[in-house]
Amino acid sequence: MVSREGGAINHWRNIVEGLPSLLKGLGINVEILLGLISLGFVVGIIIAIVQVYGKKCFVWPAVAYEWFFRGVPELVLILLVFFGLRQFGVKITAFFAATLALGLRSSAYQSQIFRGAIQAVGHGQMLAALSLGMTRIQAIRYVILPQALRLAIPPWSNEFSSVLKDTTLAYAIGVEEILRRANYLRMRDYLITIPVFIIVALLFLVLTYAGNWTLGRLERRFRIPGFEVKGAREERL
Amino acid sequence: MRMRIKVLLAAVLVLAGGVWAAQAEKYIVASDIPWPPFEWASPSGDYLGFDLDVMRCIAVLEGYEIEIQPMAFDSIIPAVRLGQVDIGASGFTITAKREEVVDFSNPYWLSNQAVLVRKDSGFKSLDDVLCCGHKIGAQRGTTGADWVQSNLVDKGVDVKLVLYETYPEAVLDLVNGRLDAVVQDEPASQQSLAAYPKVLTTAGVIETNEYFGFLVAQGDPKGLLPKINEGMVKMGLRCDLMRPAEGQWKVKLRIIPGSAWDYLVRAYFGPKLEKVEAAWKACIKILYDKSLSPEERVFRFAKCLAEKASE
Repeated sequence: MVSREGGAINHWRNIVEGLPSLLKGLGINVEILLGLISLGFVVGIIIAIVQVYGKKCFVWPAVAYEWFFRGVPELVLILLVFFGLRQFGVKITAFFAATLALGLRSSAYQSQIFRGAIQAVGHGQMLAALSLGMTRIQAIRYVILPQALRLAIPPWSNEFSSVLKDTTLAYAIGVEEILRRANYLRMRDYLITIPVFIIVALLFLVLTYAGNWTLGRLERRFRIPGFEVKGAREERL
Repeated sequence: MRMRIKVLLAAVLVLAGGVWAAQAEKYIVASDIPWPPFEWASPSGDYLGFDLDVMRCIAVLEGYEIEIQPMAFDSIIPAVRLGQVDIGASGFTITAKREEVVDFSNPYWLSNQAVLVRKDSGFKSLDDVLCCGHKIGAQRGTTGADWVQSNLVDKGVDVKLVLYETYPEAVLDLVNGRLDAVVQDEPASQQSLAAYPKVLTTAGVIETNEYFGFLVAQGDPKGLLPKINEGMVKMGLRCDLMRPAEGQWKVKLRIIPGSAWDYLVRAYFGPKLEKVEAAWKACIKILYDKSLSPEERVFRFAKCLAEKASE
């Protein structure tokens, strides 16, 4: 459906001219990703530890927190944070609103990853550590977490790929990430809509692959022979 | 020691206050980029468009600064109400419903709704199109969609309204034969025609007589509306109230020929977007050339834009 004489060339030019803008947008997605995943990591581990080892009175708030942030749709969370905080006079940029909302949501999911991993480390080890005179915190820090974090890498890379794609939701509140920039491009030239979205998809495929590859390397790097979960088979890839 | 720190702190505060006071007021303008030719972003990241350049020119004339904040169309009115942004400039039609929640400037644009069809459909007039079980596409939340709903669907005319998030999808469905017509704001429809000149044509224009206005929070807490209205007059737009012998007051927009407003209209409504982008890049520095008077900066910028874009 090339419309004008020489129209095809124009469309190619529009795509090529738009590439730097798309890559800049992808950079913003990566910034949101780094922000949200570190926030989710720190908060997630704390929630997981509280859920497994905390006193009863702390366990319930942790469970409620996880229930809330896993139950509300991401887009609704983003809009709630962006408009909600403003209502209370907190001036927050769209970028921080998106990172905060997605980070809190991710912390709920990550808490479940870490909870599972902590519980997979035998309770006998905790008892053994305590019997050696370690405090509970020392036992968690030096005995439980080093093993649990290793076990958590495969499910955590799943969360990584998931939140990487969620960063495009920041589009809704005006963050100039890749999807918004893709829309800028296609609204200048309707006919490049499909090619532009294909480019966006390819860029995300590359990014997901690179991220998972790095995490796979980490998993192998930190593996301790003899400490795998009994009976688990290694992946063949 | 304590005393000294206090004195130092006070001095810093006074200095900072002085610097702060010397700066011009800065207001945030929210716009649903992209919606060419009223607002869009070039690949190099400049925000262009008729609305945005009008905002820039008025800011120069009235001595304040603006910052443009891209935002989804539905979010702009809530954001203005919360004081998150100061002005909404995004081709807003002035409607009674919107006037209940925000305040509008004087109207600055009269828009009607164009009805786009395929050339091979053989439709001769609007009456052929808007009937007979035809499928009509429009963007959700726009006055075009409202018009089809309240003037056709609700009145029992046999048409089917299909809603889309943005116009390119509707136009694509029209081209591919899944729709019989698309109802779209007239200036924006020019771009759809330009994308498919051999396939699409305008069957006619529905005179909805919609006036666009800039909007601010209710009660205009920052006193922006008088400045915006004054700025539009300075740029060469006249807004006359007329009352025919019988009937309601009517608004009539009049553009003074050869004024900055006239040149901006010529620059944005006609030339191809790429040409406007190139012209804008070449001309924008004139608007911020401190050696000229504000009026001269605005006029020369608009003239430069119109001339370079239509070269």
